Amino acid sequence: MKRTLIAAILLGSLAFGQGTKIPTYKELKYPPMGQVKIPEPVQATLSNGMRVFLLENHELPLISGSVMVRTGNLFDPADKKGLSSIMAEVMRSGGTKAKSGDQLDVELENIAASVESGMDETSASVSFSALKESTDTALAIFKEVLTNPEFRQDKIDLSITQARSGIARRNDEPDGIADRELQRILYGPNTPYGWQVEYTDLANIHREDLQAFYRRYYFPKNMMLEVYGDFNAAEMKDKLEKLFADWKVEQPAVPAFPKVTAPAAPGVYLAEKPDVTQTFFSIGELGGVRSDPDYASLEVAANILGEGFTSRLVKEVRTKLGYAYNIAAVWSAQWDHPGTFRIVGSTKSMTTIETIQAIQTELQKIRMEPVTDKELQDAKDAALNGFVFNFASPAQTLSRAVRYEYYGYPKDFVFTYQKALGAVTKADVLRVAQARFKPENLAIVTVGNPKDFGKQLSTVGKVMPIDLTIPEPKQEIAAGDAASQDRGKALLARAAQAMGGTDKLAAVKDWTRSLSMVMEPSAGGITVKETTRIIGADQFRQDQELPFGKMAVYSDGKTGWLATPQGTMAMPAEILKQARGETFRGLASVLLSSRDTSRTVNAVGQNTVQVSTTDGLSVKIDFDAATGLPASESYQEAGQNGAPSEVMETFSDWRDSGGIKVPFKVVLQQDGKKAGEATVATFQFNTGLKTEDLAKKP
Amino acid sequence: MRVRFLLFLLPALLAAQSLKDFEKKVTKFTLANGLTFLVIERHDAPIVSFHTYVDVGSVDDPTGRTGLAHMFEHMAFKGTPTIGTKDWAAEKKALDKVEEIYDMLEAEENKGFRADKKKVDSIKADLNGAIEKAESFVVVNEFDQVVESNGGVGMNADTSEDHTEFFYSLPSNRIELWWLLESERFLNPVFREFYKERDVVREERRMRTESSPVGKLVEVMLSTAFEAHPYKNAPIGWASDIESFRRTEAEAFYKKYYVPSNITIAIAGDVNPADAKKMAEKYFGRIPKGPESPRVRTVEPVQVGEKRAGVASPAQPFLLIGYKRPDQYSADDAALDVLNDILSDGRTGIIYKEMIRDSKIAVGAESIPGFPGGKYPSLFLFFVAPSQGHSIEENEKAIDAIIERMKTQAVDAESLQRVKTKLRASLIRKLDSNSGLASELATYEANYGDWRKLFTELDDYNKVTADDVMRVAKAYLTKDTRTVAYTYAPAKASAAGDAK
Repeated sequence: MKRTLIAAILLGSLAFGQGTKIPTYKELKYPPMGQVKIPEPVQATLSNGMRVFLLENHELPLISGSVMVRTGNLFDPADKKGLSSIMAEVMRSGGTKAKSGDQLDVELENIAASVESGMDETSASVSFSALKESTDTALAIFKEVLTNPEFRQDKIDLSITQARSGIARRNDEPDGIADRELQRILYGPNTPYGWQVEYTDLANIHREDLQAFYRRYYFPKNMMLEVYGDFNAAEMKDKLEKLFADWKVEQPAVPAFPKVTAPAAPGVYLAEKPDVTQTFFSIGELGGVRSDPDYASLEVAANILGEGFTSRLVKEVRTKLGYAYNIAAVWSAQWDHPGTFRIVGSTKSMTTIETIQAIQTELQKIRMEPVTDKELQDAKDAALNGFVFNFASPAQTLSRAVRYEYYGYPKDFVFTYQKALGAVTKADVLRVAQARFKPENLAIVTVGNPKDFGKQLSTVGKVMPIDLTIPEPKQEIAAGDAASQDRGKALLARAAQAMGGTDKLAAVKDWTRSLSMVMEPSAGGITVKETTRIIGADQFRQDQELPFGKMAVYSDGKTGWLATPQGTMAMPAEILKQARGETFRGLASVLLSSRDTSRTVNAVGQNTVQVSTTDGLSVKIDFDAATGLPASESYQEAGQNGAPSEVMETFSDWRDSGGIKVPFKVVLQQDGKKAGEATVATFQFNTGLKTEDLAKKP
Repeated sequence: MRVRFLLFLLPALLAAQSLKDFEKKVTKFTLANGLTFLVIERHDAPIVSFHTYVDVGSVDDPTGRTGLAHMFEHMAFKGTPTIGTKDWAAEKKALDKVEEIYDMLEAEENKGFRADKKKVDSIKADLNGAIEKAESFVVVNEFDQVVESNGGVGMNADTSEDHTEFFYSLPSNRIELWWLLESERFLNPVFREFYKERDVVREERRMRTESSPVGKLVEVMLSTAFEAHPYKNAPIGWASDIESFRRTEAEAFYKKYYVPSNITIAIAGDVNPADAKKMAEKYFGRIPKGPESPRVRTVEPVQVGEKRAGVASPAQPFLLIGYKRPDQYSADDAALDVLNDILSDGRTGIIYKEMIRDSKIAVGAESIPGFPGGKYPSLFLFFVAPSQGHSIEENEKAIDAIIERMKTQAVDAESLQRVKTKLRASLIRKLDSNSGLASELATYEANYGDWRKLFTELDDYNKVTADDVMRVAKAYLTKDTRTVAYTYAPAKASAAGDAK
């Protein structure tokens, strides 16, 4: 009985199973692909010369639009890199003639609309988005931002503050560093394609620069407007004509973008970053443009090598070796200038070299042997079957039309490309891989912690270091005029007199100071015992006792060493600069700067003098009006994590040391906040210090 | 006056209209085994998107096996007895052999200091040999290859604290391929290449967490803020747990949680609901009904005082402040969302205006209403990146001052209305892509038992008053229940300059 029941159930399920046989994927038959609807945007030219592309879509009660402007950050002046991006940001945030940016924020967000402005390498945009019923309000603000930006100073300051923080933060996340450094190497660090914005650039950017950049490039004939969404195209055309009727600015045609000129810079590069457990790499060379006749073959070749889970690099380096989570090769073609061919990814520090070698092997393979029939078929199938996703939304057709027009591509380029994809052969893949993936041109950029590498990076080639140090901002040095320079010299002379007289100071050959410094809790809360010994203008030695051990620094002004409980190392550039600064700022010598023709002495306030050297050192000294003695010294220094900070030392408790008055109390401030307080124990001059004693390692 | 009134009302009308229109496009059905489907018709283009939402997340990771839910997510791409193998019978034998040897290895290693090192090494060598043998039967990444060569795009998956999701899109004429593959991967998954994939996941942790200052900080935030509830473990898992995962553990996990009643699938695009029902029966009807999965019982105890945690990092400073808040089913959920938007949505958010725009003490500052998840009591989180030259302390004080104001001053009517208008508009903007629709509807259906909640939660928002906002700020943004995590510069080996 029981058995029968079970049999019946089994039979039942068997019958069910037969009725619904599950095929394998190879047995599946597909109906033909559904019809793709390709919308045709309405094109027109407004009477002011602005070209418009309109495409209706009534699925949702939304409207959006954007102008594409012929400009780009390639037009940044070399001494004001970053200007165009700041201009674009402030174009929106700085408001219009009639309304501040803050007012626009409220007006737009009250109706859940937006107007934005952006800058790319070879184009700029101003865009809007709104619910259908707010179309007119959003369009009116869009027009004002585009045609009447006010560039208010407070928002320029905001953008520059943000850009400065961006520079300070650019080495925080390792994945961006490798790509950025490869870009600089491939395009040349001194070209608009490869340079990066530094503090000194930002210091040069002013409101009139933003206005001049805007005026040069933002005029009707230099832009194309696309509008998409829930509207009637004929009505919209009239609306736009009316809206922009009074904007008739003209400018000469915009010149072509600069050419890419950098020669190949192959080799192995390393940027050291001690706080990571992986090595991030970006390996590449200059690539090509989309209009290249081999574009389709190159994409197929790069895809077989490293795009998606089916690719060779993913199969080998990720799946088989387990060396990487992220690894990809990409033929990144540009519209109008050579793009790049790149292999990017990351692996644990230990397997850095093995991973690079595995990549090199795969690269060799695709250049030596034809790909298999299946690989080619899979890659083409993926591209051709997925081709329909180019038409997922009508908005894609609209922006494609504008882009093709902007870069001078034929209207049917997407279909030409489809055809070319279908025609790619194994011979094509081999030919383009040999011609365009050139190992001898490859720059191998790594960012990581070489102490943990399993093998020496030099295994794969001679290693060239990349210095990630962020250049400090150029300090504002007021050159002043003869009068202010004379006043500055007078203030120095008065201070020298107050300290004991110029002759006394000039007779100083060396000095030694011991102090005990209590740091504020925010600066570590520790107490440091420190002895500084200086001979002449160059020889510098400082010994410190810290809670975690002793440290010593020595410099002859050009090189030096740094001794820590962990060992001795060559002096890093930033510390060398700090040492030179300390020597330079020593009161006995800095007050005699009037005698040194390589220094500029300039009064920048009633009782303030700036002293600067030709090689980049600078200090501001405030003098006590009553006594004439130096009250404080202020200067910039690489602070924690390399970001520059403002340091101020305030002097008090003046005592006599062999006929020279010196401060026995020094309060240290960093960026306006108290960081510590030093009490001097002894301060001596001319004790006959010897260079060899200073240079002696502990 | 009249115009104003209309403008005020319009967004509400629009949303109601969207729901009515939308209901016509959505078909919901549940199979006998408990698996729920949502079909959203959108025939404009011959493409279709799939979103599989599984009600299992890292909160369900077994003790000592953090990251296992995420590890299974990786294994769901490894194929089946028919996909990804050259010879299943032989491969199965080889895979079993791997486990047999691994058992021996663990037995020896478990002896701790008494373990025989030579024996361990010798078993390890055997293990590597067995793994290599098993790999010799593998057709690498065949599952991915089939999807890709059929034009599949956007294929990926995601594991969070609360859920696991799998998604991609196909040309709609190939929809049956998805029915086949998706049902097979959850009916007959084969955990091949498990130990290599374990290495890959370990690399993922190195990349996302260990090498990223923010990644590290978030991990410390979670493990400090939560003492008992599994939200204390990030979904990626702890390094040593990952390094010791066993295939058998992942299989047991899969059997426990990948039962049909935990799965909600949304299909959006060029799809016919009647065909979908037939296909669902044919392919997913095969999956047997399973027992209900166990659920997390641990309740995070009430926090009894502020906690602080520092992470030494050479990066520029970051600050996180997390306040304990109830789960997403709380009656206060809508008010907390509105409070969040008033604080940090767009350029009119208070935090942006005061800290970024006006005082310029931060380059990035925002709040997140529910972190790291919503199904269990979580955190109302503030994230701040101070601008250059400005400190963590200064920014913490600024956030404190803003919070204090939210507790004592009612938000003005214009700001409140603005937030509600933006919430409605953002819903409409979510409806314009297949993949977005599939993801949203599957998520709402799985989380609230009804996808309509995506639309009806606007009513909840609309009911929130200025008093409600003040009340929830007072109730939850309290010092004693918060955790502050921040980075600070490590003591540096720099002598000159730092101390004078």
